[in-house]
Amino acid sequence: MLLVWLAEAVVFALIVAGILAERPLALAAAGVAIVVAGALLRFVAPLRSALVCAFALHPTAALLGGAALALVLPLALRSSPYWTFVATLALLYVTIGQGLNLQIGTAGVINLAGAAFAGLGGYSVGLLTVGAGWPSWLAVAAAPWVAVAVGALLFVPILKTRGHYLALVTIAFVFIFNILMNNLEFTGGPQGIKNIPTLRLGGYAFTARPTLGVVELPAHANFYYAALATAFLATGILRRLHDSWLGLALNTLRDDEIAARCCGVSIAREKLIAFSIGNFFIGLGGALYAVMVGFVSPPDFDFGYSLIMLSVIIIGGVDSIGGVVLGACLLVPLPERFRFLHEYRLLLYGLVIVVMLLFRPRGLWPAGIRRYR
Amino acid sequence: MPPLELLLQQTLNGVMLGVMYALIAVGFTLFFGVLDVIHFSHGDIFMLGAFVGLSTLLGLAVVGLRTPLLALPPAFAVAVLVTGLVGVGAERVCVKPLARSSPLMTLLATLSLGLVLRESVLIFYPRGADPKPFPQLLPAGGFEVGGVAVRYENLTILAIGFAAMIGVDLVIRRTRMGAAIRAVAQDPEAAQMMGVNLDRTVDATFFLGSGLAAVAGMLSGFYYGEIHFIMGITGGVIGFSAAAIGGLGNVYGAIVGGLLFGVLQTTAAALIPRGSEFRDVVAFAVVMLFLIFKPSGILGEKSVERV
Repeated sequence: MLLVWLAEAVVFALIVAGILAERPLALAAAGVAIVVAGALLRFVAPLRSALVCAFALHPTAALLGGAALALVLPLALRSSPYWTFVATLALLYVTIGQGLNLQIGTAGVINLAGAAFAGLGGYSVGLLTVGAGWPSWLAVAAAPWVAVAVGALLFVPILKTRGHYLALVTIAFVFIFNILMNNLEFTGGPQGIKNIPTLRLGGYAFTARPTLGVVELPAHANFYYAALATAFLATGILRRLHDSWLGLALNTLRDDEIAARCCGVSIAREKLIAFSIGNFFIGLGGALYAVMVGFVSPPDFDFGYSLIMLSVIIIGGVDSIGGVVLGACLLVPLPERFRFLHEYRLLLYGLVIVVMLLFRPRGLWPAGIRRYR
Repeated sequence: MPPLELLLQQTLNGVMLGVMYALIAVGFTLFFGVLDVIHFSHGDIFMLGAFVGLSTLLGLAVVGLRTPLLALPPAFAVAVLVTGLVGVGAERVCVKPLARSSPLMTLLATLSLGLVLRESVLIFYPRGADPKPFPQLLPAGGFEVGGVAVRYENLTILAIGFAAMIGVDLVIRRTRMGAAIRAVAQDPEAAQMMGVNLDRTVDATFFLGSGLAAVAGMLSGFYYGEIHFIMGITGGVIGFSAAAIGGLGNVYGAIVGGLLFGVLQTTAAALIPRGSEFRDVVAFAVVMLFLIFKPSGILGEKSVERV
């Protein structure tokens, strides 16, 4: 158990060091430390097996340790509001990724419209607060349902088409969404919706800087904790769903629709349930994003973001709940860390994805085989 | 009811756009035929073709070749050759190695490769972020028939586009390589047993498809007068839509689909208010509706599932 916590503390320290190192020397030291740690894990078999064993023996301890470290992360990052923001973004991508993973990974419903559904959540928050004067928390609670409701437009194509044709339908949907947002008057056109009021719960505004005893955290830490709670809930709920009859039925129909039908799985019902639940969480992620940054505009939700969402779940591991968390926590902050590469950043991002797919096609954390007890 | 001339005019413009879309769509459909994959970076290959063509034309202008008749053939040849080779490279690196794994993998891999191509042009082409003016080498002027304005420039685009399509048709139907491509599309294993070299055939298919995309890229440069590094995103999605409307795997379907999409866009632009902004909304919505009623396209094979 101690070994588990020790390992997690080491990983945490490495991550914080890697994030906060500013000067070239410190950065190089952090980089070398991470590479050494990775190499140790990769090439020293006894260490690796000991760690694997420890984590397998104490899953609760591992989870608790991880949760505790996630809670203290804003303390470690308190000098940098920017990195608190990036960490929050990664957590929002965990929520979105879990929703998308239920659709793509578990049910095999290829949805490349993730950006559009996140955008529906974000724009709903914008319209409901700025346009209709709702309080932010109510708008955030309502916005995911808008994503679910509009997602119902795609019900028929989802049942009728499959594979590449379905991919095309969802791509077309993102483009339609983006063009509409860019050109309709009530969504603000290319400027989008500005001045979305911040979240306010019981008189506590999320723009206030929280203080814990003597330490003062950046204002983004509020959203960090909100996003952490959401991501935690989303991961928990979707893990339960994945392990439930629904998840099993979805896996069956993903692998073979005819066989699933023969076993009494209602294809239409299960697919639509999975699609709607997924859209709910994607919309929720988008809604929280909108209240966090305070404005929404069409380029925040264009097709490129669908690509990032897709890469989060594929690089993490398709149909793997842990993989989504890992994928989001790697793929969202990493490009930010490499901001000093300026224009080469996206180029490298694309290259890394291609190389990962070629050499690690099942993802960093492949989905395990279901165990039946 | 809008006047008949307007409809005719928009149809003509639509066919013009449709020819370019069709050339991209043929690539999508050919790749799908031989490897059963969607090569999503094809749109960026199309963009690359336009940039290679532009560079060649600029290079030729420096040497002194400015007359269209002397400059165009080598420019097209270089664009087709270079883009075709890049297409083959893309296939070798990230399409064929993943062709056996799930379609999701090729989807993400080719989307990312498209990102790499796009960013490479943005970074490595001089001032890549700006739209590049494309030299206007096609004949200017035009005439009018029954209220419909026909420009020589557009006629040339149509002629080049249709010539490219007829050329592909001849290659596919009349040559040994074409026979190999058709055989692999039908059944890769049986084709191999009959002595078809699978790797070479796949390479040839990607060369052919990417070369066509280069032609489309140059035509689009001539049509719009400028090219931009992000033109591959819409170009690719529209090409894919056209291929899907026509039925993936069917070359004639892709051509019909491309022309349909072009006409759809221009008539939508003419008929609805603020049409030029919303024409793509209409076109994509029609594509979605269309796939509901005909889930495997106009000329697509009916997929019969067997257990």
